[in-house]
Amino acid sequence: MKGILCELRLILRSRLSVASLLLLFMLAALAVLSGLREVASQHETLARVAPLNKQDLASVETRYPQDANGGYPAYYSFHNTWDPPSNAAFLALGMRDVAPYMLRIRALGLQAQLYEGETFNAELALPGRFDFAFVLIYLAPLFVIALLHDLVSGERQSGRLRLLLAMSDGKRLWRRRVALRYGLLLICLGLPALVGALIAGMAAGALAMTLAVIASSLAFWFGLSLLVTARGWRSSATATVLMSAWVVLTLVVPTLANVMLNRSIPVHQGVDLMLAQRQAVHGAWEIPRQETMQRFYANHPQWQDSAALPPTFHWKWYFAFHQVGDESVADQVRAYRAGLLQRQVWSDRLGWALPGVGAQAILHRLADTDLQAQLAYQDRIGVFHQQLRDFYYPYLFNEQPFGRQDYASQPQFTPREPSAYAFQPSAWGGLALAWLLFMLGGWQLAQLRPNQQ
Amino acid sequence: MSVITRIAREEWRALFRDRVAVVGLALLTLLMLVAALNAWEHQRNANAERARYQAQANHEFEMQPDRHPHRVAHYGHFLFRPLNPLAAFDPGIDPYTGNTLFIEAHRQNSANFGDVRQSSLLLRFGQLSPAFVLQVLAPLLLIFVGHAALARERESGTLRILLAQGITGRQLVLGKLLALSGFALLMLLPALLMLAGLVASGQAAWQPSLLLAAGYVLWLLLWSLMVVLLSGLLARSRDALLALLAVWTIGVILLPRLVPDMVSSALPLPSRFENAIHVQREYLALGNAHDPNDPTFAAFRESILKEYGVTRIEDLPVNFKGLVGFEGERLSTELFERYATATFERQAEQNRLVDHSAWLSPTLAIRRLSMTAVGTDLTSFRHFLEQGETYRYELVQRLNRLQSEKLRYADDSNPNRENRISHEHWQTFPRFDYQPQPLADTYRQTAPASLVLLVWAGLLMALTSLMGARLGTTRQ
Repeated sequence: MKGILCELRLILRSRLSVASLLLLFMLAALAVLSGLREVASQHETLARVAPLNKQDLASVETRYPQDANGGYPAYYSFHNTWDPPSNAAFLALGMRDVAPYMLRIRALGLQAQLYEGETFNAELALPGRFDFAFVLIYLAPLFVIALLHDLVSGERQSGRLRLLLAMSDGKRLWRRRVALRYGLLLICLGLPALVGALIAGMAAGALAMTLAVIASSLAFWFGLSLLVTARGWRSSATATVLMSAWVVLTLVVPTLANVMLNRSIPVHQGVDLMLAQRQAVHGAWEIPRQETMQRFYANHPQWQDSAALPPTFHWKWYFAFHQVGDESVADQVRAYRAGLLQRQVWSDRLGWALPGVGAQAILHRLADTDLQAQLAYQDRIGVFHQQLRDFYYPYLFNEQPFGRQDYASQPQFTPREPSAYAFQPSAWGGLALAWLLFMLGGWQLAQLRPNQQ
Repeated sequence: MSVITRIAREEWRALFRDRVAVVGLALLTLLMLVAALNAWEHQRNANAERARYQAQANHEFEMQPDRHPHRVAHYGHFLFRPLNPLAAFDPGIDPYTGNTLFIEAHRQNSANFGDVRQSSLLLRFGQLSPAFVLQVLAPLLLIFVGHAALARERESGTLRILLAQGITGRQLVLGKLLALSGFALLMLLPALLMLAGLVASGQAAWQPSLLLAAGYVLWLLLWSLMVVLLSGLLARSRDALLALLAVWTIGVILLPRLVPDMVSSALPLPSRFENAIHVQREYLALGNAHDPNDPTFAAFRESILKEYGVTRIEDLPVNFKGLVGFEGERLSTELFERYATATFERQAEQNRLVDHSAWLSPTLAIRRLSMTAVGTDLTSFRHFLEQGETYRYELVQRLNRLQSEKLRYADDSNPNRENRISHEHWQTFPRFDYQPQPLADTYRQTAPASLVLLVWAGLLMALTSLMGARLGTTRQ
């Protein structure tokens, strides 16, 4: 204990170390704060928008208080769907800035509505968000390097190295120094995250995993730094090598990997999907209407006893061809999603080799702000859209009048629960390797002998 | 002058004996080549794909059967944004914006299918491009190889000897600067060759390429100055290295993220959802253009009747439904314009705020200059959206005119009658032909960023010169 206090005093006497620690703490706190603020503003937006949409639905009711078969209400009612941020979203804001987290849906073709974008300033989104994930993945390693690059060489430059290595409890001394620095950095990162988690009401399990991610990323960079610093090179050489490693692992390889991923798993079906859906929907105006109805009834026999189409326009035909349009691209939709998920799987695998990518994947999964979260929201919209169809179709196909009380019983969207984090061994494999590296680094440091120096 | 070149030559020789410098330069060059090749090919593929899609969309539009003009207006059209060949140098916001615009009557849709929503979060680590290599990695290599330029001489005591030999501090500093800038030029060489190739093959105009080249030369000069300055100011090379790394981290990594994030929370954008609701409300208040008996269109009906000198719309020589559609489209487009412009203006305001912060971090300035010069910035994207909107308006109004001229009101208002006009009409519609921004606009938009880079370089030059003068007078 006395030894630790003594080391602590040594660290506190170094201006560089104190400044580094304070700065990291402040940056982490700022990131947590701005994350919390962003989440709060998303909640606010959702709260502001809900009544607006309600008024909108009410105005449809005033315009069409009594409808012969629900066609007008079904056509004009836009229903509110939303995806509230999870309790952990403040840590990693992920895709929520570029993908909509609220969408208005009506009972017409789903595929023409699902890919609607959000208004965002692409120039602001381009550099990425300043959130806790950024501090952990990009900045924290630099602070590890700043604190460890002269662990050995600094002692040599001041002429104390031989003495230290000759001491009987030399190994304990190194262990103490490393452990202390590790502990201080862990506090600088973990404390703001912990406080943020308490404010946001994050679940204990998710919090524990967040702390595990923080501890493991630090372990990786400590391991690497110790391995390099134990070579006994000059301080600036050590710093250069470590910095280069950081650049390669966090800046260069992920971008290279992204290029390769996008090349090996091309996804252009998005556009094809939309072109095909439009062709199918608008083609309905050209073919005999009965043909469309037959195609619709083939998949939905429960409505086939509905009365024959009148010579004039009928809403049930309109809704039927929209649904037929959706169904005609079902295979393409599946292929599109499979391509997207495939990309996700491969970038998760990359997390084994790249600690930054691994930490990013786990944090965003915990926060439920990644590609999977976006797809899950789309699934939820799909389910709700089906409820809308199920609700309106009896009116349309059975010629049931649609009145005030029917407006009140329209389906309501229920947001999805943020999917509970499922422990993925594949994602954590990389972090387990980080601890192995940490041990290896510690072992290397313990191998330092006075006669080698 | 010869003293300076001799110093530079010595330093240059020392640089190439340094393993870090040689390996670093080789790796950087390799990375630059990979980035350039990949970006070039990606850009070419993307353009080929977009051209193919555009051709397909044009074909589908023109091959429509006989239809009611209003049906065609809702069938709509797809527009694809072509990329500037220079985008291979700096893809900018291209992966973040959709490039597919669906246009139809009385609706303004968003551009869809940007890469960002179709990729894993890996994209958020950045994109490998020559611009990324030059903006982020090149300054770091300059720091690694140059941080000891002066500090090393001081540490080993050679500084005193050099000064005693009658070399002035300024000459020494200039020599070191010359060597480091030469090294920087070597890093820049592959990029310059790539630009030259694009210009020579006629794919890119020379003016923006030159602007781009000048911008990056200035950018690396700025970093060479920064490195030499701190190397001369700090006593030990290790301190110089750490200080430079801190400057780099704050200026290149931290601020370019922190500033946009703060700006977007200070000036939030209205969500698409809210805008859609507000637009729809005002749209309903305009009256229903599909219904010629709509009360809000009564005044319009009166004016038309008066203009043609008839008392009943049935007596008009043209189809009144088409006229109402025309008027409705005019009104609704005005409404959309208003909201779209407000959003664009808000975004421009956000970007201005970020641009002002370039005085703190010139990285923001070089980024602005680079994206704007190659046309992958938001302004140029807005330019595409606005052209798309003009095209949409003209397309829809042409169809409304066809409806008013080619269909009779009595037929058109008979629900039991199928009204179609010949498919030959669709083939006479002009195709969408995207016109990139005029160069003068590019110069105007990059001027503030260029000024920031120039002022920073001037300031650093003055400080370095001051440092050089002090180096000669202080007794070591």
